[in-house]
Amino acid sequence: MDSSTASILVEVFFETIGYWYIIIPTILLGLIVGGIPGFSAANTIIILMPLTLALDLQSGLVFMISLYCAARMGAGIPAILVNIPGTAGAAATPLDGYPMAKQGKGQQALAISFVASCIGGLLTTIIALATMPILARVGFYMHSVEMIVVMLFGISLIASIAAQDMVKGLIAGFLGLMIGSIGTDVVYATPRGTFGILELYDGVPLIPALVGLFAVSEAFVIIEKRVIVTHEGEPKAPNWSDTFEGVNIALKRWVHIVWTSIIGLVIGVIPGAGASIASFVAYQQSRSFSETPELYGTGHPEGLIAPEAANNGVTSGTLVPLLVLGIPGGATAAIMLVVMQFHGVSFGPSLFEDQPKVGYGMFMAMAVSYVIMFLTILPLSRYMSRVTTIPTIYLAPMIIAFTLVGGFVPREYMFDMYLALGFGVLGYIARRTGYHVAAILIGVILGPLLEKYFLWSLKKSDGDIMVLFSSTLGNILWVAFAMSIILPIVLGMRRKRKLEVPAE
Amino acid sequence: MPSDHHKPPRQIGGELVIPILAVGFTIYFFSTIWNSPWTAQVSTFMVGGILLLVCAIFFVRAGIWLVRGEGTLGVGNLFTMDDIRTGRIGLLLTTIAYVMFIDTLGFTLMTFLFLAVSMLILAKGKNAGFITMVSAAMALTGWAVFIWAFDTRFPRGWFETTMKAVLANG
Repeated sequence: MDSSTASILVEVFFETIGYWYIIIPTILLGLIVGGIPGFSAANTIIILMPLTLALDLQSGLVFMISLYCAARMGAGIPAILVNIPGTAGAAATPLDGYPMAKQGKGQQALAISFVASCIGGLLTTIIALATMPILARVGFYMHSVEMIVVMLFGISLIASIAAQDMVKGLIAGFLGLMIGSIGTDVVYATPRGTFGILELYDGVPLIPALVGLFAVSEAFVIIEKRVIVTHEGEPKAPNWSDTFEGVNIALKRWVHIVWTSIIGLVIGVIPGAGASIASFVAYQQSRSFSETPELYGTGHPEGLIAPEAANNGVTSGTLVPLLVLGIPGGATAAIMLVVMQFHGVSFGPSLFEDQPKVGYGMFMAMAVSYVIMFLTILPLSRYMSRVTTIPTIYLAPMIIAFTLVGGFVPREYMFDMYLALGFGVLGYIARRTGYHVAAILIGVILGPLLEKYFLWSLKKSDGDIMVLFSSTLGNILWVAFAMSIILPIVLGMRRKRKLEVPAE
Repeated sequence: MPSDHHKPPRQIGGELVIPILAVGFTIYFFSTIWNSPWTAQVSTFMVGGILLLVCAIFFVRAGIWLVRGEGTLGVGNLFTMDDIRTGRIGLLLTTIAYVMFIDTLGFTLMTFLFLAVSMLILAKGKNAGFITMVSAAMALTGWAVFIWAFDTRFPRGWFETTMKAVLANG
């Protein structure tokens, strides 16, 4: 980095801090819209597009970036407190976050999540800024074959979740994959398994599936109890010590935050991949290489850190192909592209020469947002965690009402509300009979993507299955995938043997 | 060693619901792609085939439990008379009504009615005044944020139309 770039960065940093009056209210808005399923950052930016276009370029960018980061973090809050991920990117968060909340550690869990999100987001922003030219090439090397392996990393989480009852876990996972296959095929657009319903030709929409499987079914389950927290985990009065304990737990696992957020960053720079894939892959990898994999799913801090650090790593990752190549890495980045083009910004390497303040300004806005977010939201965790003490007779109907209409928002079809209700019934049956709803959701989210990349590969190779092993990077990823499956088994056996030795 | 003679038998009937649904759905799915191009078939036949296999394993396992007397075909894990007492069935019915009538009555009014009736069912009729106030506050907040401020296309009804006219003229 030369001195002129450094001086621009410093200048942009102080300029961005000057926009605190936009950043702080936007963070609060982002936390709210991120927490309600259906109201993603992308939808909110679209809704507020007239406002964004009316602002000057710098203010508009600061607004969009702050909203994007805050919505990403906000999605994890209801995921932890009431088992309802605000977006598909937070779908892996409740796996360990919600058990913590039920044990009365909601405040700690929120603090862990905020620290992992902010450090993960901040760190990946700095890495993205420093390695932009290299990262921008990742998208070029990741073809359909390589993406198949990335998807398999995420899908193999089904097997981890299914560890308690493998047959039931696999039924849930493969049922999810089948549901994810509903809709037209990606090559000839042949409708499949749609029951003749036109609204399903585009596939099963994610938000109604998420709302139904997690929120609606959870609402029907929690009414059995007076409040969400278990009797033993009855929370104390709001205090700072739980927040600091959560911060401490997260900081002690800084290495974990670093490598899972880098997973998010790398997946984020691949156009079309997203936070949901990143969080599932990070969770699966975190569990695979953990010293205590058996604790995952029971309220283990590492199981909460991994998806939260990864999905915030994605936010900076999506900016890289947008700024360097003009290719948006996700829906929110695509909307940013539209707004920036409206203001006459041209993308590509020349952006950093012609309008360096815009290029660097976006990353700086992200970094400043994460810092301000950390300072503003952390003190709130002690109050947010009180949600778990609201009597369920009031909480359950509110969850149902506001998440069902959230299911309506993305496509604005009444059908999607019925679909969310249908998924709610399926989720309720699954919960009551020991099938994991997260395994179904992984299938619904990743199934269509896996099929798309698989078909593209076969189409390109005229149906030759060996195409899956035709690229060097792909083969490296296959080896890494095989290692990530085999190594934890070997390590687990070694640990078991070590534990048995003293007994002998 | 503790004896598990008093352990209630496993309610396999409830556990069979999802595999039966999965098999039915997979067979239907296959029927829709039987004459389709290979691109529409390849991955679904693979995934569906594995799903059918895993379900078959579960059916065999369930059969063994039944034969050994370790389980029954009961659905007690899915539905009990407690579901009526706790208000779960009532909540399900109000939820179905919410989805069915929100398009006609509009978001605000239907949300208020749904929240009030559901909470009253779950609270067994207690605290009616408080519940009415909470429901009204939530529904009005929802209207103010999502419809008035954000102008989302939530279903509109009598209340939204009236408020629009009031705000336009006032």
